[in-house]
Amino acid sequence: MSSTTQSPIVARDLVRTFGSGDDEVRAVDGVNLEVAAGEVFGFLGPNGAGKSTTVRILTTLLKASGGSASVAGFDITTEADAVRRSIGVALQDAAIDPLMTGTELLRLQAVLYGIPRQSQSERAGELLERVGLSAAGDRRVGTYSGGMRRRLDLALALIHEPTVLFLDEPTTGLDPMSRMSLWEEIRRLNNDGTTVLLTTQYLEEADQLADRVAIIDNGKIVREGRPEALKTDVGAPTLLISVSDDHTAAAREVLAEFGDARPTAEGTLGVGLTQGAGDVSNVVRALDAKGIAVDHLELRAPSLDDVFAEATGHRLEGAS
Amino acid sequence: MSAALGIATRSLRNIRRLPSAFIPALLMPVFQVVSFSGTYSGVTQMPGFPTDRSVNWYLPMAVTMGASFAGLGTGFSMIRDLQTGFYDRLRMAPTSRRQLLLGPYIAAWVRACIAVVLVTLVGFALGARPVGNGLGTFSLFIAGLGMATIGTGWGLGLAYRFRDMRAAAIMQLTLFLGLFLTDAQTPIEVMDGWLEFVARWNPLTRVLHVARIGFVDGIGGADLLIGIVVIVLASVGAWAFAFTGLGRLDD
Repeated sequence: MSSTTQSPIVARDLVRTFGSGDDEVRAVDGVNLEVAAGEVFGFLGPNGAGKSTTVRILTTLLKASGGSASVAGFDITTEADAVRRSIGVALQDAAIDPLMTGTELLRLQAVLYGIPRQSQSERAGELLERVGLSAAGDRRVGTYSGGMRRRLDLALALIHEPTVLFLDEPTTGLDPMSRMSLWEEIRRLNNDGTTVLLTTQYLEEADQLADRVAIIDNGKIVREGRPEALKTDVGAPTLLISVSDDHTAAAREVLAEFGDARPTAEGTLGVGLTQGAGDVSNVVRALDAKGIAVDHLELRAPSLDDVFAEATGHRLEGAS
Repeated sequence: MSAALGIATRSLRNIRRLPSAFIPALLMPVFQVVSFSGTYSGVTQMPGFPTDRSVNWYLPMAVTMGASFAGLGTGFSMIRDLQTGFYDRLRMAPTSRRQLLLGPYIAAWVRACIAVVLVTLVGFALGARPVGNGLGTFSLFIAGLGMATIGTGWGLGLAYRFRDMRAAAIMQLTLFLGLFLTDAQTPIEVMDGWLEFVARWNPLTRVLHVARIGFVDGIGGADLLIGIVVIVLASVGAWAFAFTGLGRLDD
């Protein structure tokens, strides 16, 4: 139990069901995880995989149907208030009142977290500056762009300097520049010692930010580990090809000689090259020998998407 | 307490920023006191009617209605906060659940005071005059705040349970049924059949009597006491309804 009590986030056999009888859905189905202090832990999975439900349980918004969990050393069920005092949370939808200004929201958050009145304005100003919103602090949030809302949401989560931060899909829907800017801020927070649990459906995000990732699908964690180790475990690189529709079946037969088929986006065929990248020329020659013209060919080093595909039999939504 | 005040301040600030969510609830009771006291001015001709001014009869009804709207208004706001996810932010804070509830109550009391003062002023402008020593105006405020308290608990409890606009429909329906199935429009003595039975036993009739005590004859200290007991019990019940509803959000 000693390592368990020292880890900021621990979940054991966490279960959450919705509905009952034949309509019962197990949104979280026996999740076990342990996040070490100072770690960025990526929770990767498609929509509906159970990421947000797990986060809602760990942040005390939702009761678990089974299992147990502790956050910052406190039990989420019996010590919910202590958990709330220790964590910062930015939820998926950046739930901020559009009628309020950024400064007003930060002050309200400061009041809710018991920050002394005389420090509230100063803290709000510091955080607005930190997330680059000083100039917009007195504007209503309804006039903010999506990226600005996310940054404000992050600032709100930091009002009481939490030691554990939950970020639920923090960059979903953001443009690349806003995404990079938020990544920088998350890295900075982590460098300052904050433990971060980050849910995402973006492979690149998990790859860029996370020290370790857990891949979740249908409520179960199907892989967990350091991104590099998970990718190494997959081994073979993936060769992706596109051929005309009437050659698809024949091409599939050819590819099967070089390794296992890999799930791909529609219109593309994929194979994990058992013999490695050196087999590419052999594949091309074999296809040519059958009279199959290749429209597009791409060799990919193993990615988290391959890890996901290997573990679940399908690819992440939106990933090729 | 500071968290509750912070939540209330935000709610009251939003009245100024989104007046369309508050003004109809304010104008409705004004419209009622104007139209009812004008349209039914002849009601005072009924034998034994307890006042010779129709506005004295309808003003307390409009005040309790306006105060109830103020309470239910917090329920409507709660539905919006639940649907946008803003309420999750409040629930994630290390603030006691009682303070989370008290915030909307404080906002409702302020809104109710605005409604009670405005409707009372309109009533006086239309000719309403207190009977006796004028202390009855104070009981009008007591009844108004009582109805706001009951309405807030009822509205929040429904909002927490349904979490969508179904709650708003039930709030409005039950408020209108509850208030109109009293002696709001005519004295119980002139009612007949089931309507008379329901009005006599409807607890809100007792609250209306508290509101009316300073404006019509025939309501005494015992009615005041019963009315206040009803307000206290209903307020406690409504708070419990809201509190258990808040707990259900975790389920």
